[in-house]
Amino acid sequence: MRAAFVIAAKDLSQRIRDRSAILLGLVAPLGLAFIFSAIIPDTTGSFDVSLAYVDQDRGEISSGFINGVLPDVAADELATVESYTDLDTAMVDVESGTTHALYVFPEGFTDGVLAGDGGSVRLVGNVDHSISTQIADAILSGYLAEIDAVGISVDAAMRNGAQDPTALVVAAAQSPDVVVLVDTEAANRELDATTFFSAGMAVFFLFFTVQFGVSSLLEERFYGTLPRLLGAPISRWSILGGKATTSFILGLTSMVVLAVATTLLIGAEWGNPVGVAILMISGVLAAIGIMAVVAVVSKTPEQAANWQSIVAVLLGLLGGTFFPLSQAPPALAFFSKLTPHAWFLQGLGDLSAGDGLSVVVIPALAMLTFFVVTVAIAVLAGRGKVLAP
Amino acid sequence: MKALAITWVNVKRLVRDPSTIFFVFIFPMLLILVLGASFGGGFQPQVAVLNEGGGPFAQELVDEMADSEDFDTISYDDRDALLEDVERGVANMGVVVPGDYDERLQSGAVAQVEFVGRLDQSVVQYRSTIEAIVADQSAVFRAARLVEEQGLAGFDDAVASAQLAATSTPRTVVARESTGESVFGEDLGQFDLGAPANLILFVFLTSLAGSAALINTRRLGVSRRMVSTPTSIGQILLGETGGRFAIAMIQGLFIMVGAAVAFQVRWGNLAASSVLLILLALVGAGAGMLMGAIFDNDEQAGSMGVFIGLGLAALGGCMVPLEIFPDTMVKIAHVTPHAWALDGFAELIRRSGTIGDILVEIVVLAAFAVALLALGTWRLRAKLTH
Repeated sequence: MRAAFVIAAKDLSQRIRDRSAILLGLVAPLGLAFIFSAIIPDTTGSFDVSLAYVDQDRGEISSGFINGVLPDVAADELATVESYTDLDTAMVDVESGTTHALYVFPEGFTDGVLAGDGGSVRLVGNVDHSISTQIADAILSGYLAEIDAVGISVDAAMRNGAQDPTALVVAAAQSPDVVVLVDTEAANRELDATTFFSAGMAVFFLFFTVQFGVSSLLEERFYGTLPRLLGAPISRWSILGGKATTSFILGLTSMVVLAVATTLLIGAEWGNPVGVAILMISGVLAAIGIMAVVAVVSKTPEQAANWQSIVAVLLGLLGGTFFPLSQAPPALAFFSKLTPHAWFLQGLGDLSAGDGLSVVVIPALAMLTFFVVTVAIAVLAGRGKVLAP
Repeated sequence: MKALAITWVNVKRLVRDPSTIFFVFIFPMLLILVLGASFGGGFQPQVAVLNEGGGPFAQELVDEMADSEDFDTISYDDRDALLEDVERGVANMGVVVPGDYDERLQSGAVAQVEFVGRLDQSVVQYRSTIEAIVADQSAVFRAARLVEEQGLAGFDDAVASAQLAATSTPRTVVARESTGESVFGEDLGQFDLGAPANLILFVFLTSLAGSAALINTRRLGVSRRMVSTPTSIGQILLGETGGRFAIAMIQGLFIMVGAAVAFQVRWGNLAASSVLLILLALVGAGAGMLMGAIFDNDEQAGSMGVFIGLGLAALGGCMVPLEIFPDTMVKIAHVTPHAWALDGFAELIRRSGTIGDILVEIVVLAAFAVALLALGTWRLRAKLTH
């Protein structure tokens, strides 16, 4: 036991001196998280929609919308609403994008609708604001549907032999809605952009950080120090334990420092510390296991480092550490679940919804499964080989 | 001639290493594929739909939603799965048509449709799209009930005539049109955004990481031995620069041709895009030379190269499109050669530009190349002759 710690302490001081562990474990993930948080516009909560209208109709129906619906839209802060008297001025603003979508009520619109001929309202949207335009469409469509509903009611009644259209209009306008939309609030289990990139970079670089420990056995052999260690009166498990401890301490330290630094410096929200700690420890173990397998099947430290970078980068990409894969095609989403990265990020996301600690159990178990399976493979593949003199 | 031999050795070292093969050739293509598959389709809100009852009216409502051009629907048969996917962002919102939907409509009660959304601002705005579709179906049943209440017909006949009225009554419609010039350009291909970004990212990244090879050459004493032969220092420097440049060009050409063949990326004007690639490779070669001269430890240079390579790429708009950067960050981004090269490719790919349209980008990139190459060879010369 003591021997393992001595070996770990030696490895750690070596790593700190050559600075590459600090570079990959701290500087790189922190630097990239900083850059990402600076370049991603903060969209949470504020989604600007700017609407405008030109009322050439000046009739009952257009004013019903302009004075009855739009003020509520503005009051609910769904959108800002502006009025134009001149169509050309309004069009210039939509074209430049200062106004996202413009309603144009043409002359004679109300008259046409009341005469039973229907009618159309122009909605001009800026090409880069398709979502705003779609929202503008939906707001107006909801209002027009109400007007159409009255028309349909009257038409249907007349078809069945009703006589007095005027009375029907009144009755139809007062008839209650038959289908209503009720809301169910869903929790938010997605990380905000800053937290996502902080956590994503942390777990991506974790796989590079832990390789310093697991691969150092190959270095000991390469530099001829392994036979000396084997000749010492210590158990072979102490040697392996020492290397694993090095990886574990390096990995966990870098994760903890990154979590604290991103929280303080760029406002990342990692969530419940106990839950985060459980996820981090499972994640570090999974990373050690996977990197140990690569180290065991490699012949030289250089070969190990090469293959470890390939594995770390591939798993990181599939695990969605650089960009979220939540809306990726199903096949990609499936492969994503075959990486510890995806489970780590999912665990953090679930934790952020605030449903308590139980949500980390499955992600943690998934990562620990990676650990157990990969360690078993490493032990079997490395038996009689890794510690051969 | 000797310079060419040195260049050739550098290229041979590259192709013999399995990990460089992966990072230089396989990984960039993989990334273009994953990015294109995940984000290339443009953004359509995803609506998770669960039809619990399956009666004809419920089905009609579900069909209406599936026909909408404003969003895509995903069918679910389990409520918990739907809720979880909305929470995780797999779907932007969910709609549940309850089991008693048809029954309630037939019995004269108010039918409810459940909207499952997260209370973000954007979801509140999407809600109105669903609301409009629901209102459409509501109108038919309001009409049917009016007919029934007025004692004009029974429910079934009333519904039938209301449906007929709904199709024949002239409607008030919203005539949607669009205006303005899209920042991403019209008919942007699925991979058109990711391919140039990754080309720039990887050519630069490989050049920086390649500085490790240069350091190895020095550390193992190969450079010293080269200097001791009757080879002028100029030849050696030219050869090393040529090596970096050749590797960057090989990778760049591979990505350009590969993306064109595998993902139908149209790189636009051939002469102009070739000039951009050559300049990019020269900038990369210069940066690699500089790093190789500054650092003395190949491992450090390797990790530092990856970090600087990824960092500059992110800052320069190769990971997140420049178009969505905050305004000040767009200015900062143009400190990197990446942003200039991206602007150049954007002009060629999305706006069918020619060499005349990217003169500014060409001049800036050439300036980057000259400065970095001069600095790099000067520092390396000092190291080699020391």
